[in-house]
Amino acid sequence: MADDTFMGVKRELIDWYPTIDYSKCNFCMECDKFCPHKVFEHRDGDPKLVVANPNNCVVFCRACAKTCDPDAITFPSKPETIAAIKKIREEGG
Amino acid sequence: MPKKYAILPCNGLDKAQGPLSREVALAVAEETGGEIICPVLLNNSSPRYEKLLGELPLLVIDGCGTKCASKLAANLNLKVDRKVLIADEMKTSVLKPEEGLSPGPVGLEFARAVATLISEDMPEEAVEDATSLFSAPVSYATFTHEKYIFRVPQDGFFFNENDCWVRVSGNRARVGVSDYVQQNLTDMTYFEPPKVGQAVEQFDEIGTIESVKSSMDLISPVGGMVVAINNALIANPEIINEDPYENGWVAELELTDLESDRELLLDCPAYLELVKKKAAETH
Repeated sequence: MADDTFMGVKRELIDWYPTIDYSKCNFCMECDKFCPHKVFEHRDGDPKLVVANPNNCVVFCRACAKTCDPDAITFPSKPETIAAIKKIREEGG
Repeated sequence: MPKKYAILPCNGLDKAQGPLSREVALAVAEETGGEIICPVLLNNSSPRYEKLLGELPLLVIDGCGTKCASKLAANLNLKVDRKVLIADEMKTSVLKPEEGLSPGPVGLEFARAVATLISEDMPEEAVEDATSLFSAPVSYATFTHEKYIFRVPQDGFFFNENDCWVRVSGNRARVGVSDYVQQNLTDMTYFEPPKVGQAVEQFDEIGTIESVKSSMDLISPVGGMVVAINNALIANPEIINEDPYENGWVAELELTDLESDRELLLDCPAYLELVKKKAAETH
């Protein structure tokens, strides 16, 4: 997507995406089925589920974590993400 | 007088939560005189329960995060009055059901405790909200993209890029979701409010809305304390579709630091431009 920014900051400079704990993931694929932004990808091979498009993830959305029965999905800290965004904005990035 | 529900439990057979959902449903039905809906029969033949669903409010009991019962209700466009998620109740209860597919003694005690919570739950005392502060008429800008017409207020509101708005009056503010959101999600079926008294930082989750299509956590545009929630949405979440910026308000907050929060918000013209961009990309 052209001009892909969030709060004036280039999306790829913001660290916001789900992390899968593979020691807990049971590969039910509910997160992939739920997410409308194609953040996840179901693959043949190992692991069967990956975060393929982290920059598609809507900043501050954590909805997929609620679909995860084994609690295998975590997100970065919101306060840290907000601080990082503010810093980049101040630096004009 | 305990509330009488039409009760839709999950039907999970491969995990402990499914049988526990059933036990909760049985106990609620026994305590309140409500009626259980078989999810399999409902899925195959929904006219069978039409009368019941027209007469009684619907209680959905999901076993795990897959939320099959909720999905079934959403697929059938059913409005949900109350929801319980057994997996969450298991985390917060002091009673820890045994592992295994047949509920043991602790599991049955847990199920009865959850049923009692549901049956005895009185609606929260209606907290007075500050309607008089937010009753000035709102004028709207609209723009059309293909078959969609999107509305954005012309002023008096601020937005975050998660499509949630805030409308301020003194140190009090209301928050909600934009017209763009309600059109994307389509028919609302359920509203889970934040708790009155909850402290919220800017960009924290502040309530959840569910529709036939999906669900969304509202991301608060401002920090503060929740002082009121819109009780009308609990019985009628479709108000969000009908009137997202006025009667569809979700929560009222007492603000902490609006000036600081505003630096990261968009005014109405800027949000209108953002919606135009989003509409062009996705529709």
